[in-house]
Amino acid sequence: MTERSGTVRRDVTRSRWLLPGFSLAMGAALFGAATYGGHPTDGLWMFGVMALVAAGVLVASRWSETISGLSGPGRDERLEMIDLRATALSGLVIISAVIVGFLVELGRGHGGSPFGELGAIGGVAYVAAVVFFRTRG
Amino acid sequence: MRNLVRELRAERGLSQGQLGEALGVSRQTVNAIETERYTPSLPLAIALARYFGRTVEEVFFHDGAERNGAS
Repeated sequence: MTERSGTVRRDVTRSRWLLPGFSLAMGAALFGAATYGGHPTDGLWMFGVMALVAAGVLVASRWSETISGLSGPGRDERLEMIDLRATALSGLVIISAVIVGFLVELGRGHGGSPFGELGAIGGVAYVAAVVFFRTRG
Repeated sequence: MRNLVRELRAERGLSQGQLGEALGVSRQTVNAIETERYTPSLPLAIALARYFGRTVEEVFFHDGAERNGAS
């Protein structure tokens, strides 16, 4: 049962349509949010950019094993490791930016929002992840 | 970590792509292993060794360590 669930999940994450589909869904969400905020033209531009990203990933994955692997199909343990390291590095960059933003906001006499909240979310998520993965060996 | 993957693959006349396909990894990963830029996981190392009919210690060894039964 567990193995079957894992297989199904792997099939989904290895679909070449996953990343382009996510990009399009993200574009639709951006369009919806911008329209709701009274800026439908901006929303259309955002959707267009995300549609270009989706098309770019689909086309590039045909000739690049790296893009194909990172976006789903052809993923093996080395690409999973690259993805993991890249995600960790991205997280480090983001949390560094959040800390700098928090300090700048404090220095400007403000309360540090929203950087303080973002930093707290990052810290709690990190601790929760450590506890979770520690129990899984 | 040194290895004999390139030599063993060449002995069998396989391309990196063919070996990768047999093991379920990409051609790039086989190349990275052969050029020692990537050390495979234990399951992949075992699969590689079994594919060539060798033990893991025969295929993979530390720099300076004596090859264990490799020809």
